[in-house]
Amino acid sequence: MTEPKARCLVLACGNSLRSDDGVGLKLALWAEERFRQNPEVRVIARQQWTPDLAEDIAAADSVLFVDASVKSPPGRVHLIPVSSRVDPSAQASHHLTPNQLLGLTRTLYGSIKSHAMLLAVGVVSTELGENFSAPVEAALPRARGVLEKAVLRFLGS
Amino acid sequence: MSQTITIDPVTRLEGHGKITIQLNGQGEVENAHFHVTQVRGFERFSEGRPFYEMPSLMARICGICPVSHLIASAKACEAIMSVRIPHTAAQLRRLLNLAQMVQSHALSFFYLASPDLLLGMEADPKVRNILGVAAAKPELGRAGIALRRIGQSIIELLGDKRVHPGWVVPGGVTEPLSAAKRDKILAMLPEAYSSVGLALGAYKQIAGTFQPEIEVFANFPSNYMSLISEEEAIDFTDGALRLIDADGNIIEDGITASRYTEVIGEAVEPYSYTKFAYYKPLGYPDGSYRVGPLARLNIVKSMGTPKAEKELAEFKQLAAGPVSSSFHYHHARLVEILYGIEEIEEILADSRILDKHVRATAGVNRLEGAGQAEAPRGVLHHHYKVDENGKITWANLVIATGQNNNAMNRGVLQAARSYIKDGKFTEGVLNRVEALVRTFDPCLSCSTHAFGQMPLEISLLSADGEVIDRLFR
Repeated sequence: MTEPKARCLVLACGNSLRSDDGVGLKLALWAEERFRQNPEVRVIARQQWTPDLAEDIAAADSVLFVDASVKSPPGRVHLIPVSSRVDPSAQASHHLTPNQLLGLTRTLYGSIKSHAMLLAVGVVSTELGENFSAPVEAALPRARGVLEKAVLRFLGS
Repeated sequence: MSQTITIDPVTRLEGHGKITIQLNGQGEVENAHFHVTQVRGFERFSEGRPFYEMPSLMARICGICPVSHLIASAKACEAIMSVRIPHTAAQLRRLLNLAQMVQSHALSFFYLASPDLLLGMEADPKVRNILGVAAAKPELGRAGIALRRIGQSIIELLGDKRVHPGWVVPGGVTEPLSAAKRDKILAMLPEAYSSVGLALGAYKQIAGTFQPEIEVFANFPSNYMSLISEEEAIDFTDGALRLIDADGNIIEDGITASRYTEVIGEAVEPYSYTKFAYYKPLGYPDGSYRVGPLARLNIVKSMGTPKAEKELAEFKQLAAGPVSSSFHYHHARLVEILYGIEEIEEILADSRILDKHVRATAGVNRLEGAGQAEAPRGVLHHHYKVDENGKITWANLVIATGQNNNAMNRGVLQAARSYIKDGKFTEGVLNRVEALVRTFDPCLSCSTHAFGQMPLEISLLSADGEVIDRLFR
């Protein structure tokens, strides 16, 4: 039962019980509401990106990954192109990175995306907790704006 | 000078564990252990909770097999309530458990085991993963993903969530099945059949090349335990316990959930947080036994569905009596996927599956209750005691991995002794020791974690703790 084809897939990842790590899920909830009336947009939120998602990516024209980033400065919002070239030294079993997922999609389904980007929000804490840090809370409006703009651009192209 | 090899963490498992291998002064393997290094504590922190919360609380133990915990827990609660659930509710639970079996076995075979099976035990660890499998055998990669999706989609259609559905409750299920959902499930089954057929064909082609591994992957006589129906057929959800010995003789039969403590004891070892279950009359460790797909197929006389029945007959040709090498867990898992798909189809063919009466209600009528169900990795027991207000005062869970614990440890020792000579080892050798553990598909927690990104470190230590050699993956 694959879902109907959507032109743009928003694929978020995070854990809402791990403080700032839940920012991807928060943005996914917003995206669901924002694009509720638009059948061309599909939103999937998971605690981790698993190989199964390759099928969903293959069914879309474009994909926007959304995740927290512990490497970025707190509150910084990045929009980064994602390549399907896989780092051969990276291992994979339960959890895949965006470029591994994209590579898997290409290998299994021959599917190449017209757009593939990662929206990453720099975080402060991924300790147990249900609240965001002040920098992440402050970054949410900008992250929502970047997400909306990216999806509309994907749909417009 | 004695030495210790540590494999920490063991990769491509559900949860966190490590393996240590002790060598003597001559470089021979003296002992080996599989350690489960995580603590969960579900039995203790459920104390004080209302009993009817238990299914949803206990399901959180695992992200892969929550359905089995839901069902065993709900059954324990129903024993406390003294209710018999409606027939349709029981059948709907069977559907849910079958769907879980399909998706969990697909995860084990395609994502965790197939890198070893399809790419080889000695393959470069950088490609010995699901991405490597996809590159080498894309049709099998797609089949694995399809079976996972189908199993999880059925769970989602029935319970509204792919993981931790709240649909199974004490007394039955919360919602009946609609005709539209039934038809959606039926529409998925042709793809499921073709996917598992592909996997069975591929596995049978390569299994013969693993004869050396078959010989030493926990290949020893043991007892086996599983649920079995009154017709002596496989039964993941109901039925009663049967225990057979290494020759296939029945040593216990018809053990219902309320009697499990008569036959099952639990021992502890200082090196692991997982208990070691054993058959009480034989004591520990002589009473150790195996559970899960290998045990189930060794015990049952029939699968009860035509395609799986043929596969069972072929499986039983692997040995004159019970099939003893744990390598054959992989084969058994695929046969069970096929059975799961067939059984789902059969259950949905009965129009009573759409019946609206799917829940019985009652309060506390007994102060103790137990329930059992087959999880993908083996039979699972939940046992609760409550006060007169229905608050949990005591809980005990006997999980599949604990029941396989002794066999896994014996298997690690057998494989290590076979492969490690003169204190020398390679990454491929240690991968075989890990692969032996993977045959059991142990479920050490299944909560969120990113195992794929963790390094594998193997250290060779002298008796005084000095690092003599180290391998990284």
